[in-house]
Amino acid sequence: MNDELKYIGKPQPKFDAKERTTGRSVYGHDIELSGMLHGAILRTKYPCAEIISIDVSEAEQLAGVECVITAADIDANKISFKEDHPVLKSGLVSCIRDEIAAVAAETKEIAEQALKLIKVKYNERQGIYDPFESLEEEAVQINQWQPEDSPKNVSMTFEYEHGDLEEQKSKSKVIVKRRYHLQKMTHCCMGSSNITADYNPAEKKLTLYCGTQVPFLYQRDMAHCLKMDPSRIRVIQPVIGGGFGSKLDVNPFEPICAFLSMKTGRPVQILYSRYEEFLASPTRQSMAIDLTSGADENGRFTFREVEIIKDNGAYTSWGATTPFVMMQTFSSLYKMPACKLTSTAVYTNNPNAGSFRGYGNPQATFSVERNIDLLAEELGMDKSQIRKLNSNTPGEITGQGMHFRTCGLLEAMEIVAEKSNYESKKDMEQSGRYRRGIGLGSMLHVGGGAKIYRSDGCGTTLKLDPYGCLTIITGSSEIGQGSETVLAMIAMEEMGLSEDKIKIINSDTDVKPWDVGVHASRTSFIAGNSLLGAIGKMKEMISPRAAKLMGVEIQDLVYEKGLIRCAQSDVQIALDKVVRDLHFMPPHELAEVSYFYEPPSKYQDKGFKGDVSGNYAFAAQAIEVEVDTYTGNVKVLDVWVAQDVGKVLNPMGLQGQIEGGVVMGIGYGLTEETQMKDGYVLNPNFHNYKLLTASDVPEIHFYPVETNDPAGPYGAKGVAEAPLIPTAAAIANAVSNILGVEMNELPVTPERVLKAMKNKSELTERLV
Amino acid sequence: MSYDFNIESPQTADELLAVIAANQDKNFRFGAGGTDLLLELKRAPQENLTVVNLAQLKDPIFKSITKVAGGYRIGALVTAGEVLDHEEVKSEFYTLWEAAHNLASMQIRQVATVGGNLCTASPSGDIACALVALHARCEIINTKGELRSVSVADFSTGVRKTVIQKNEVLRSVVVPINSNPNLHSGFIKVGTRLSMECSVVSLAYHIQMDDNRTIRHAGIAIGAVAPTIKFTDSACAFLIGKSKLIDTEREEFAGLISDYASPISDVRASAWYREEVLFNISKGLME
Ligand SMILES: Cc1cc2nc3c(=O)[nH]c(=O)nc-3n(C[C@H](O)[C@H](O)[C@H](O)COP(=O)(O)OP(=O)(O)OC[C@H]3O[C@@H](n4cnc5c(N)ncnc54)[C@H](O)[C@@H]3O)c2cc1C
Repeated sequence: MNDELKYIGKPQPKFDAKERTTGRSVYGHDIELSGMLHGAILRTKYPCAEIISIDVSEAEQLAGVECVITAADIDANKISFKEDHPVLKSGLVSCIRDEIAAVAAETKEIAEQALKLIKVKYNERQGIYDPFESLEEEAVQINQWQPEDSPKNVSMTFEYEHGDLEEQKSKSKVIVKRRYHLQKMTHCCMGSSNITADYNPAEKKLTLYCGTQVPFLYQRDMAHCLKMDPSRIRVIQPVIGGGFGSKLDVNPFEPICAFLSMKTGRPVQILYSRYEEFLASPTRQSMAIDLTSGADENGRFTFREVEIIKDNGAYTSWGATTPFVMMQTFSSLYKMPACKLTSTAVYTNNPNAGSFRGYGNPQATFSVERNIDLLAEELGMDKSQIRKLNSNTPGEITGQGMHFRTCGLLEAMEIVAEKSNYESKKDMEQSGRYRRGIGLGSMLHVGGGAKIYRSDGCGTTLKLDPYGCLTIITGSSEIGQGSETVLAMIAMEEMGLSEDKIKIINSDTDVKPWDVGVHASRTSFIAGNSLLGAIGKMKEMISPRAAKLMGVEIQDLVYEKGLIRCAQSDVQIALDKVVRDLHFMPPHELAEVSYFYEPPSKYQDKGFKGDVSGNYAFAAQAIEVEVDTYTGNVKVLDVWVAQDVGKVLNPMGLQGQIEGGVVMGIGYGLTEETQMKDGYVLNPNFHNYKLLTASDVPEIHFYPVETNDPAGPYGAKGVAEAPLIPTAAAIANAVSNILGVEMNELPVTPERVLKAMKNKSELTERLV
Repeated sequence: MSYDFNIESPQTADELLAVIAANQDKNFRFGAGGTDLLLELKRAPQENLTVVNLAQLKDPIFKSITKVAGGYRIGALVTAGEVLDHEEVKSEFYTLWEAAHNLASMQIRQVATVGGNLCTASPSGDIACALVALHARCEIINTKGELRSVSVADFSTGVRKTVIQKNEVLRSVVVPINSNPNLHSGFIKVGTRLSMECSVVSLAYHIQMDDNRTIRHAGIAIGAVAPTIKFTDSACAFLIGKSKLIDTEREEFAGLISDYASPISDVRASAWYREEVLFNISKGLME
């Protein structure tokens, strides 16, 4: 089907671009239902304290207040991945985002005023903010609902092993062991968190307008929390102003809003302020990674041994499962004979961590790629050569059981080395105030979904109307990444329809078929394949009738420009005419089909072995930076990205994902950190949380590698998380190369750079 | 509590002085571009507040840059964007131009004013720092129409404190013309981002040299390293009569500048970093 593609591979502006740019898109913040109240949440004053009393009487009396709730007023199951998170807290508060009470009032201002009238008496306690301290024997138990079968303050552990570690150690000529520190970071979605809950007491039905990335899992989890029948909950996703993983979990404000609506019988809306967004959204996991890795005398990698301590925060989100993705990188990025990993997610009194684009992989890749540079240095090998020598290859089945049917890693590494002029830049003479140099990083990530839930599938329903317009009802969700556009392009390609003949419905669980959610870079792959399956079924319906009406053979039919024509003669028929014929002539059928696609990936065994994804994406980056040795500032000059995308579907959408991802990766590498002290967030605003601005964006040179994977739609792989994953590693490698220091902690702030230089010069002075 | 405030928008200088006079026993604040004020009010809302909105004032002295005897007068309501558009400011007082150029972002520069930058009295005020280096003077007017002049270096008396009295408003600043033909002038801003960045350390320099490139005048001011912006007298004096500095002199010079710093550690950077960087960029100034 790849012979002559008309739309696939050609730049296509986003399907929703007009709506978005003319201000017509309806975001959660734009929703206004009749009789709607405004909700606000009272959060704790201290990160760790006993609540002695809560007095809401004054707040209840304020004119315009409809309802005030505390934990005592609701009958709820706990939320979170380990069911360790009560939505409203009583007894103990365990982190600074903790919700104590909530108000619904006629206006947002009244609701906020009412919060000020709630009196809470606390008995402040000493909290624990460092996961290593949580693991000490005398540490108190932080979460009283922590899993019973795990040690004190441990929320989740992962253990993985393949190969003969001892044998590989003995084969190693060099062994490098380092600890890497990775920081917390926040998604910074431009649209802050929001929900509008509308409970209809007459029908006992709840409609939730919210930005979830996983509408069907969300429906189930909300129902569990609210003790409701899931089918009575309808989830509608308004236009979403950014996801990046932040909307994978149910967060307390969502059931709280539902409870306020259930109590008042009126719709209630909660909108986060930017301050609340910084304070109360789950962060990227901070962690300490102890990585030992080896290479033999020829530079072939021998083993990796990893111990990870992750700061879980006070409760357990889906994000606690990130080692699942991290272990893929440790076990299988570059050929790896042996690997052993243990990961422990540890409770602290910090705000709980969550999932974030890359899902642990930026952290894992940082440690792996830093260690590779160190191995190369010890061996006296070229850093590009050692990577190429160990590259994954097509056909490889890794120690973890992942099958790389296609693999463009080697080609990607060669491209970035060539395009960046790596050879001439790798050993630049370093003197003077401003110093330049280059660093490398690669990555492996799932490209065809990830089967971590029992189904990783997606359903599609298609409807052709009597006027030849196709409605695609897809289970998948659009969160700004452009999936609607790719789906429309596929339909245009296969059905021979123009853009204005396609409608997409994807935002209502009462209507759309099941899908596991938008994450793991999966939507174009899974929803694309699902759509292709549905189109196949639709053609099984249309083609025989068309062939009959035209008096030609089915295999000669070509769908084009709203017509079906015969490839062998000039007979043709309008598509809409065939649809009407099906409808009006016996046996009277509507042109409607449904299809469910379940990818060929496997649910992994207890040892995490198995072919977990439909295919695998690879990428390499080379990044040139300039270090100002007076200020410690690192300026990223150019980023060269080569990525195995399988097949380019929409070059414009792809470019957007690459550039956005790289910029996010630079932020992770250089500036972004949710700074914490004793459980308090120090920088809950854009002034001090250093999200990069347009002026900081360097040249990004992108080279897609097309490996045409047999599993992907037209050969495509998932692309969206990849561009962020190796960026920080490549930057830290560049800075380390230039200064002859080791940047093993993120972000690489100017202060850390100056400190590293200072320590180095003091060391050399002492040695002299 | 509410974010509400009354707003008065005088159109002429006379109306402005009358509004100030009428509000003497009330709680009032001036608002020019509002880029500092609104943030402050959001952080600490005030009851019964009147904002005297200067943005609609038509008065040319408040609003424009003009050449006057011995210097240039810059109105308090001149925006950072207008500073950037002014050719003579760029050629004569590059430190001021560069400070305005590095301020916040394109959008903020269209409303942020020179007067607001001075009156907000932040140790990291960029325009204020450049004006201190330029030996500029503030022209302050009171309700009776009386004018007084205070050097910019003495204008701020502490974090968010100025010499302005309740019956006064900042009308303009005067920057003295250069007395020498050759200039080494600029503004160094240290931070992590290129836009929307509050200085972690700043250094404004305006060094004038005669035809033989001997330094005759020097103005160097540092920001974000002490409670107020500091004019570094002894470092400036050190330069007079010299034309180039040798290595050891550069270190000595940097040490003299650093003596004026008493930085703190905060969420943006540690005191150690601020000291280290100030020394380094000072050293680099005369390279
Ligand atoms: C996102 C952002 C980024 C920023 N980045 C920078 C930066 O890079 N560098 C920098 O220096 N600043 C920065 N600022 C601060 C601010 O923009 C500047 O200080 C600006 O010059 C203030 O001018 P304004 O007209 O907006 O002042 P306003 O907010 O209107 O006023 C500030 C203060 O001065 C008083 N005031 C104003 N005019 C007068 C007058 N004529 N007489 C007496 N009192 C007066 C007001 O009452 C108020 O107390 C930033 C601010 C924001 C929001």
